Amino acid sequence: MLNIVFYFQVHQPYRLKHFNVLDINKSSSLFDDNANKAIMQKVANKCYLPTNRLLLDIIKKFDGKFKIAYSITGTAIEQFKLYSPEVLESFKELVATGHVELIGETYYHSLSFLYDHNEFLDQVQMHKDLLKSEFNYVPETFRNTELIYQDRLSDIVYEIEGFKTILTEGVDRILDWRSPLYAYKNYSKSLNLLLKYYKLSDDIAFRFSNREWPEFPLTVDKFVNWIDHLTLSEKENHNQFLNLFMDYETFGEHQWAETGIFDFMKHLPQEVLKMKHLGFITPKETPDFANYQQESISFPEPVSWADEERDLSAWLENDMQKNAIETLYELLPRIKQHGDENLLEQARKLTTSDHFYYMCTKYFQDGDVHKYFSPYDSPDQAYIYYINALADLEEKLN
Amino acid sequence: MKVLMFTWEFPPFISGGLGMACYGMVRSLLKLGIKVDLILPTKEMVYFPLVEEDDVDKLPAVFLETDKQKEFDTISFANIKERLDYIGVTTHPESYVKMKDITRYLHVLESEETTFFKTKDAHDRMLEDAIFNLIGDEDLIRKVQEYTLRAQKIASALHFDLIHAHDWLCYPAGMIARKTSKKPLVVHIHATEFDRSGGPGDERIHKIEYAGMMYADRVIAVSQYTAQMIMSRYRIDSGRIKIVHNAFTAQPGLNGYKQRIFKGPTILFLGRITLQKGPDYFLDVAERVLKIHPECRFIVAGTGDMGRRLLRKSAELKLKNKFLFTGFLNRSQVEQILKASDIYVLPSVSEPFGIAPLEAMAYGVTSIISKQSGVSEVVNHAFKIDFWDVDRMAETICYLIENPDICLKMGQDGKNEVNNILWDEAAEKIRKVYTSTLSEYLESISL
Repeated sequence: MLNIVFYFQVHQPYRLKHFNVLDINKSSSLFDDNANKAIMQKVANKCYLPTNRLLLDIIKKFDGKFKIAYSITGTAIEQFKLYSPEVLESFKELVATGHVELIGETYYHSLSFLYDHNEFLDQVQMHKDLLKSEFNYVPETFRNTELIYQDRLSDIVYEIEGFKTILTEGVDRILDWRSPLYAYKNYSKSLNLLLKYYKLSDDIAFRFSNREWPEFPLTVDKFVNWIDHLTLSEKENHNQFLNLFMDYETFGEHQWAETGIFDFMKHLPQEVLKMKHLGFITPKETPDFANYQQESISFPEPVSWADEERDLSAWLENDMQKNAIETLYELLPRIKQHGDENLLEQARKLTTSDHFYYMCTKYFQDGDVHKYFSPYDSPDQAYIYYINALADLEEKLN
Repeated sequence: MKVLMFTWEFPPFISGGLGMACYGMVRSLLKLGIKVDLILPTKEMVYFPLVEEDDVDKLPAVFLETDKQKEFDTISFANIKERLDYIGVTTHPESYVKMKDITRYLHVLESEETTFFKTKDAHDRMLEDAIFNLIGDEDLIRKVQEYTLRAQKIASALHFDLIHAHDWLCYPAGMIARKTSKKPLVVHIHATEFDRSGGPGDERIHKIEYAGMMYADRVIAVSQYTAQMIMSRYRIDSGRIKIVHNAFTAQPGLNGYKQRIFKGPTILFLGRITLQKGPDYFLDVAERVLKIHPECRFIVAGTGDMGRRLLRKSAELKLKNKFLFTGFLNRSQVEQILKASDIYVLPSVSEPFGIAPLEAMAYGVTSIISKQSGVSEVVNHAFKIDFWDVDRMAETICYLIENPDICLKMGQDGKNEVNNILWDEAAEKIRKVYTSTLSEYLESISL
């Protein structure tokens, strides 16, 4: 038996204004409310609303046989409320079906795990509180920002009440000869570990509309056929899990409606469910299906799901990124000590990983992706505005 | 007396010091009763006959072609800006002349004009040199070609006693005007290619600069520093060089009240981020000072081809949020940043004059200026340090931070000093250069 585990990442950052030195220490906001509103409403119309509607229909149609999981960041939920409340309502409707799992993460989609454990714990708790208040939901699965993971993270997450499973990337250099189709344990065997099957995930998320790709166009038949082939590797009736993890904005935003992505998603579940040995479950259910001794797997160095390297280089490679993030995490405790809630909220919005992504200078294949997602002309501009914003927060202390 | 003046910059557009210097200079010359026909790189072929002092703001314009002038006379413009837009003085001199309108310079040289340059005495060979080194496909070179081609027509149509050309962009035009009108030529050196490039620079421009200075009847240098430079680098006869320091043009409505942005000491670099201006030395100074005084902030105001390198280097040095970049600032933003600064640093590698420190001083900002600058010859209430001596600069800044009273006093003294460096005095010196050049010239042709 092979179960498909769909997890979708739902995230929107607070984009910074083009924040000049002369704007520092004035009362104005750091964030570009107009851009944030426009982008949220655009993505709501192109992606969130139509995809939620589609998936709700499928879930209802198959009554428990089709399931999915979401990780929705705090900054996304805040901006739904501000700019597109109907999106939040439609997510609530999905959760109410009982066939949707919600995943825990840092409220601000931050890299705090790498820099400030207390801040990391605070942000995870804030996100748990938010899921409780908005969805009356208590998460059992955790994913760190951009699927960043290493052994150390599992130790911290294990200490947080309620989490039993962690999601991360199925990185080849870690897996070596092992298959991402099985559920593993973390290095200390305390948590369940699910690894993204990046090839098939990225076929949908990145390559679906790519005409240069030899497999273009990707049809449901072809995809289900590939999945079916995976089950040939099944041994001793050990249940397998195909972890398809991707940004939710794949649907309608990264892959436009014209590419046929919605049709693909509409027909995929019914074709999968025609096969007796294929099904859908959510991450928290996987331990119940793991009918074997789960092997532990160690991640000594951090991995992520970004770019070819699948490491931290998309956010923390060049000097601008390093200087920016180090300055932020030096400032954060001082802001906490100062006690101004408003300042702290703004600083936390600056912990969102996207700010560092915009400063990325790896302009090869992956750079294109970075460029597409950046609201600024260049990494240097992104850095200038960010550093100015940090100077602004610091000046407002005292 | 009436002067035909060629310059590439004049307000409303100011890209560097040249435009502001010409503005202050011309206004004071007008006060002295000297009339100026100003030639700018306008889209339309016009000249600006300036008579009254306030003509520097009004910029009355006359077309060389009568048909166009008639058309121009029929139009009523709502304001000066609208009229200037029509003539094609926009806020960016790069757009004065449209590339497609540019006549084939070489073609002209090779046909009707050839005889014009064919006289083969040593003096005229300089003119030929300037004209034939003005060759290239760069936008700027081609615009200078177009500007130069107009000079003959302009010089024959207008009546004047003397020609005054500012910097190499205008030398070929000034030289042609001299050849055409047989009136004496004064060239004014605001900067040489050695200053601008910070290295060997463009060979063609050197040749044009050399030819212009050799061809001219008199050379005005903006400082002793520049006079030295043109004597040693271009071998110009010191007897023909006159030094007239630039002065300070106070902005109307200037008030020097501090309007802080930062609580800590604020140290400013203001200017183009290019090799010439020494921004990398500013960064080195910042690194040293921040180790001792992490409470201060260093601001780089301006843009330039070294901007990215400087930004990346500042990140590499981990200067946190203490080393900030403003990007391009307009006039009122420059004022805001000056009002927010305590210390101004001019670390230029080579600065023929340097108007920016005077401006900083006018806002009461304590100034540290490179010894390799002309401005250091005219101010006393500023610290003068070799551009490469970053340790001294850092020590000086730390000293000023630790002694805020001294810093304030120095700023105040500097402010008073700058307000007495007046264009009227500089214009008087220029008038003397004009009269002596004229009388010598008249003597030479009467012989």
